[in-house]
Amino acid sequence: METRIPFLEVSDAIVMSGAETLYWCMQCGLCTGSCPWRLVPGEASEQFNVRLVQRMGQLGIEGFESENCLFACTTCRTCVDRCPRGVDIIGNIQGMRSMLAEVGTIPGSLKPIVGSLHSQGNPWSGPREKRTEWTEGLSIPTFSEDTEYFLFVCCTSCYDIRSRNIAKSVVKALRTAGISFGIIGAEESCCGESIRKVGDEALFQKLAESNISLYNGKGVKKIIVTSPHCLYTFKNEYPDLGGKWEVYHYTEVLADAIKSGKIKPSGDAAGRVALHDPCYLGRHNDIYDQPRELIESLPGAELCELSRNRKNSLCCGGGGGRVWMETKAGERFAELRISEALDAGANILATACPYCITMLEDSCNVMGKSDQLKVMDLSELLAEKL
Amino acid sequence: MDQNIGVYLCSGCGIGEAIDFDALSGVAEESGVAKIYAHACMCGAEGSKVIRDDISSGAVNCVVLGACSGRVKSEIFAFDPMQTIIERVNLREHVAWCQPAGHEDTQAMAEDYVRMGIVRVQKSTLPTPYLEALDKTVLVVGGGSAGMQAALDAAKAGYSVKLVEKEPELGGHMAKWHKCLPLHPPYHEIEDIELSLTIQEIESYPNIEIFKNSTIEKISGAPGMFDVALNNGGATHRVGSIVLAAGWKPYDATKLGNLGFQKIPDVVTNVQIEEMAKAGSLTCPSDGKVPSVVGFIQCAGSRDPDHLPYCSAVCCRVSLKQAMYFKEQNEETKVIVFYKDMRTPEQAEEFYKQVQKAGVIFVKTDTSKISVNEGSELKISVETIDELLGEPIQMEVDMLVLATGMQPTVLDDPILNLEYRQGPALPALKYGFPDSHFVCFPYETRRTGIYTAGCVRQPMTCTRSKNDGTGAALKAIQCVELTSQGKAVHPRAGDLSYPNLFIQRCTQCKRCTEECPFGMYNEDIKGTPLPHPTRCRRCAICMGSCPERIISFNNYSVDMIGSMIKSISVPDEYEEKPRIIGLICENDAFPAVDMVGLNKLQYPPWVRFIPLRCLGSINLVWIADALSKGVDGIVLFGCKFGDDYQCHFIQGSELADTRMSKIKETLDRLVLESDRIRLEQISIDDYYRIPQILEEFTARLEELGPNPYKGF
Repeated sequence: METRIPFLEVSDAIVMSGAETLYWCMQCGLCTGSCPWRLVPGEASEQFNVRLVQRMGQLGIEGFESENCLFACTTCRTCVDRCPRGVDIIGNIQGMRSMLAEVGTIPGSLKPIVGSLHSQGNPWSGPREKRTEWTEGLSIPTFSEDTEYFLFVCCTSCYDIRSRNIAKSVVKALRTAGISFGIIGAEESCCGESIRKVGDEALFQKLAESNISLYNGKGVKKIIVTSPHCLYTFKNEYPDLGGKWEVYHYTEVLADAIKSGKIKPSGDAAGRVALHDPCYLGRHNDIYDQPRELIESLPGAELCELSRNRKNSLCCGGGGGRVWMETKAGERFAELRISEALDAGANILATACPYCITMLEDSCNVMGKSDQLKVMDLSELLAEKL
Repeated sequence: MDQNIGVYLCSGCGIGEAIDFDALSGVAEESGVAKIYAHACMCGAEGSKVIRDDISSGAVNCVVLGACSGRVKSEIFAFDPMQTIIERVNLREHVAWCQPAGHEDTQAMAEDYVRMGIVRVQKSTLPTPYLEALDKTVLVVGGGSAGMQAALDAAKAGYSVKLVEKEPELGGHMAKWHKCLPLHPPYHEIEDIELSLTIQEIESYPNIEIFKNSTIEKISGAPGMFDVALNNGGATHRVGSIVLAAGWKPYDATKLGNLGFQKIPDVVTNVQIEEMAKAGSLTCPSDGKVPSVVGFIQCAGSRDPDHLPYCSAVCCRVSLKQAMYFKEQNEETKVIVFYKDMRTPEQAEEFYKQVQKAGVIFVKTDTSKISVNEGSELKISVETIDELLGEPIQMEVDMLVLATGMQPTVLDDPILNLEYRQGPALPALKYGFPDSHFVCFPYETRRTGIYTAGCVRQPMTCTRSKNDGTGAALKAIQCVELTSQGKAVHPRAGDLSYPNLFIQRCTQCKRCTEECPFGMYNEDIKGTPLPHPTRCRRCAICMGSCPERIISFNNYSVDMIGSMIKSISVPDEYEEKPRIIGLICENDAFPAVDMVGLNKLQYPPWVRFIPLRCLGSINLVWIADALSKGVDGIVLFGCKFGDDYQCHFIQGSELADTRMSKIKETLDRLVLESDRIRLEQISIDDYYRIPQILEEFTARLEELGPNPYKGF
């Protein structure tokens, strides 16, 4: 075996790029054992060992850079929650990616995403001016000083045809509840959560600065988001950069509205509904109860818990930039989730994240299970009963 | 003393239901005792008052108490040992609780125990304690962490202390060090060493006399009367007990050429790092420059069969501390620690985390296989397999620190220079640390009245050494107090007996002087044993060793046990009721047999247990006594022996095993099968094995058939 020569200057650069807890790691391997990649076969499963990646980082040894190694991490946070040393493993992964991004060596599949974010402010190569195309015919108010909430719709739900239904459903529910909200429009940019995880720190800073000056300029105080990813970055990362607002995921606002009786779902029985806890709603933001309350408020709904739920929820595979990368069929976490939902006897698999919807619905179709199981956003499920 | 024996029988706790008390009283009557009394609760106020009244009226001066185990209710049945002899016959755990109630074999067993108890008392006399060893001064050897603490604690408890230190000043290794490990919550920062206050307190303490620049020329005598000669040529000092806190020395790094020591100038030891840090700067010896990268090699010569096979317990923590010295000197210095396992017990785990957070790099590897050479870019190249990476790595450093382990200072210098027949040093375990009963009795050594504390005993930190000093000082105080009253120390604490030698019949065979685990006997020029009673732990191993049977105690003798064996009733061969004598260690096996009763397990009713002070006190004549009496088998229960022995007297059960290997000769003479004798090692928690052992032994005896000597 060839002798490796550690470059401690490289490890220094990784730490400087944000891997501040890199040396806290005592290499016990609990992270690797907890990683969802252990549950599937394939290249990423074979190549990505999060403990070893951090070891390479500690020693400044190369070999971790590929799409199926360092860039396999979905930032699902299972390992972080379990780490006995409190290592910010996602921060370390992000730091290592960031060091690569600075010299432009990110995976090729991410380059168009970066380009689109730079030029259009969204990752989906949609023209900036078409950001509000989904609102046609809905006469959604524009946010002003008199509006209580600024509704920030995730880029995915602005541009993706399937995902637009989530935005529309959220709007319908908020209206029914009589909540005062408005959008800003084409000037909004992507929140930048996922591109920061990919390691492009400069691009994230650019997006965040643009959003912060825009929202502050409009007098935003409270925000409702449609995606847990936007929730995470607005709530946890923007404050350091000057964006200090009250931020809520729509499930929180709507669960409140149901409790206070502003919304009363009615209609046909919803049936057996399984809930997939999105990583960024659950482990990252600690919201577990409100989605369940929404399901339980539906007429004739029976909540069936998946075998991995709440803190142990299994990632859909779409976080950390993976939503833009290809994972082969047969190697996707979402497939395991579909099977779990079927095992639980559900006829609907509900969730509350546009990435999760994309990943789960895709797998459900690929697996040929769409006649048995319907993948729905909670907002859609609720909007049907209003 | 004219014996007036009172036999008191308790029928409580189920004993009365298991045993016919009229018949049992009849057995006692046959022995011509002064009084027989039965009560349903002897340990109650009424029952125990009867005994006390009989003693105070003079009606009874010897008590045979047939009740529960002598290990319980000892305070209720405690009488002045100078006036009263007491024998506890265990009818509860050893009969009623392990045998079927009302069975004739159960009755026979109880009757034999009462017979043996009466004989035991008949063969005892009142003690005449040894009251000539009265000095209560505590000698502390070594003025480091452990020694200073021992001296201070003994002095504070009101004892005179003599503290001997070979160096010109007190403080030991600590005085030469830069900083110590974190001592205070949250255990994140290394701390300054604060010694001056302690030294000042000791030096000004009224009853501590300090001898600096001093070593011990000779120690003669025994506990309560040790005479200590120092190298200063002055008069000898009399002391009562001794704490040896002579500390440790680093493992000789010149044996670590494989790690570059003495081959590459910038390979140094952890001790050198302390000296350099204390002097103010950590620089490469070769050029005096501050190193940019420093490596530490853990277990340098430790946990390595070619060097020290053991772990020195502190080196991991010391390297963490020294890594922080480098980081404190220059934050930019890179530190790499090559380790087998990081051992950071107690709060040191918190410190370990801090050191990791400071960016120190840890490389898990087999450090004995590291290859150290001259470097190309930096001064030293280190090549090894990073087990966490699973690949070989090569790193360069400017300076390499070998974390060497500890060895006891007594390794090649007896230090105490004892004038003992068995030699000037404390007997050592295989790694050179003074032998002690490490499982249960720290501080004890194989020289009564001499206690070890700190790293001379086992590797440990300064904090633990101080605690150790306190512990050993307490043992030393116990020793002078008990000794001055003529009492034994641990484990037969309070025993007033000591060996009596009928010296006219001594053949100078030297077995006693050689076999005593505590070096109690010196010898005169002819080889006649010279007993030092206060060195004695009353194990009676000498009694077992003596072929002339001239050694006895007022309450334990060859004749006593022999007579007890002879007192049991052995049915003839046609009754098909075999008899087994169980000679068992009183320290572990006896309580284990108690536990058989407590757990209500059953074993064959043929066995009669006789507790021995130590299995090592077994005398071969007892085997002959038993076999010629017609007993079918003899089972011996002793403690585990070997390197991790559990014998309270260190070697007793092992000596018994050796003696039993010689028993074949006796058996051949009697034309008997050697299978009739079995020795088993029984730990206190092995009680559940006892019924099975006895069942198997009984089955084997059945195969052999009855002892042909029955009825002779």
